[in-house]
Amino acid sequence: MFRVLLFLWVAIGVIPFPASADHSPKIEIVGSTTVLPIASRAAERFEKVERVEKNKSSHRLRILVNAGGSGVGIHSVAKGRSDIGMASREISPSERKRFEGSHLKVHTVGVDAVACVISSEIYDAGIHDLTRQEIRHIYLGKIQNWKEVGGPDRKIVVVDKERHRGTRHAFMKFIFGNPIAKTPGTILVTGSNNEEQTKIAQSDSAIGMLSSAWINDEVRAIGIRDKKNIANPTRETIRKGNYPIVRNLSFITAGEPTGEIKAFLEFLKSPEGQQVVEESGYIPFT
Amino acid sequence: MENESHGMMWIFAGLNLIFLCCAGGLLFFLIFESYPIFKLQGFGFWLGQDWWVGEAYGALPMLYGSSLVTALACLLVLPLALAVAIFTSEFLTSTSRRCVKAVLELLAGVPGIVYGLLGVSFLSLWIKDVFGLLDGNTLATAGCLLAIMILPTVLTLSEDAMRAVPSEYRDNALGLGLSKWQVATAVVLPQAMPGIMGAVLLGIGRAMGETIAVMLVVGGLDRIPDPWFNIFSSAQTIPSKLGREAAESIGEATHWSALMALGLTLFIMVLLINFIGNRFLKRRSIS
Repeated sequence: MFRVLLFLWVAIGVIPFPASADHSPKIEIVGSTTVLPIASRAAERFEKVERVEKNKSSHRLRILVNAGGSGVGIHSVAKGRSDIGMASREISPSERKRFEGSHLKVHTVGVDAVACVISSEIYDAGIHDLTRQEIRHIYLGKIQNWKEVGGPDRKIVVVDKERHRGTRHAFMKFIFGNPIAKTPGTILVTGSNNEEQTKIAQSDSAIGMLSSAWINDEVRAIGIRDKKNIANPTRETIRKGNYPIVRNLSFITAGEPTGEIKAFLEFLKSPEGQQVVEESGYIPFT
Repeated sequence: MENESHGMMWIFAGLNLIFLCCAGGLLFFLIFESYPIFKLQGFGFWLGQDWWVGEAYGALPMLYGSSLVTALACLLVLPLALAVAIFTSEFLTSTSRRCVKAVLELLAGVPGIVYGLLGVSFLSLWIKDVFGLLDGNTLATAGCLLAIMILPTVLTLSEDAMRAVPSEYRDNALGLGLSKWQVATAVVLPQAMPGIMGAVLLGIGRAMGETIAVMLVVGGLDRIPDPWFNIFSSAQTIPSKLGREAAESIGEATHWSALMALGLTLFIMVLLINFIGNRFLKRRSIS
């Protein structure tokens, strides 16, 4: 009995080892859900290009792309838990200081606008733009009903994002002048762009912030009004620099990239890579 | 033969020791990792209401949210579980009983994320419509979802506890002229009570630790509802907070320590509930 058990133990322990050895090169990318569509599309194409060029099936490059948010992206690349981080915001001074030893290097590939978005029901009821002041008051809880800004008599569902998210940083920097502003008017806190998009679409009186690539018929972008000027987050206004809430979409490496990672980042900056940025709904960085 | 069983015993004892060490090690790790935040804020960590990374870490909203959600789930689950367990154990034929059990045990194995997605796409919308709420991501939604999640576990274990009551008890009671209903409620149920309590405790443990399903429907707002009994407002639970912030905080001393302290708090809460439950059971069985 004992011998049988011992044998099983050894057998189970030993067998998996040879099978788990895997030497094919691998790039791990983690971070912003805004940059993620660019990364996964580019990864697919890049893997194809690599395969044609090298034509060696045994050494197939694999690129793994995972979400988490800009904060997570910066963290994991700085700590060596991933090869490339994705960020939709600048590296904050405190992060710069904390990760001084990692020599973080930013490779910007595109530009995106952060739109103030509202539920389609409110949009259809006539709200097509708000001033910075109005949005600020909504997030501070001073304005709690849509009728105070000319909409229907309905309470506002104020949707915020987790504090480390790049989209929130860009939005709050414009609205409050502080990327980590406190927002006592918040009713819901969401994480990724997808989560926020779903929650706003499910509600009929929500306001929130989303990357411009996530706008659709259920979640409508509104313009930012400044006196008589209204800036809408369209491709045209973003490209011309007329929309106020824009941020760079970047890939981050610890130190100068080398080998496969360098090749991938160069691919992103090449015309073909910039095409991918465009297809993902963003403005190429030139 | 004697020798072999002796050897086996040593192996089992060794394994036992390993598991004990794992539990102790976990507790030690949590205390060690959360020490910095307690050094910084003292026990005010549990009383603070503001959680702003880099400024202040107050766990009260999360503590409150976790307790309330779990209590809600228990309140919803207990009557349902008892009713169905009594019916399944005492009134069903053995074939249909086995069918019911198989389905329940299948449900008990469904992962949390599946319940979470169902919660986001259906339950939160239903609750919003039924109660006429501003938004469906509330404590009540999380409570209901948890109730649904732990129901199969609580139910099937309660039913096991009732089946485990020896059939002589039933035969004697029936022989004394009690009706089937009286036998179930006055004879079997009290006897099975310790087992049922154990089932509920297990359910509470799962409800308290459930991360992803709660995270998706609870609203993620680190604030105690106003007024405090307003279960139709967004809030935050401990596991949901950990789930949202853990990846970002690894290696960031104070933030990480605060999250570990939250984990420690949850650990202690579950321990306390189990302890109280055990005391309660002992007292019952003595009387």
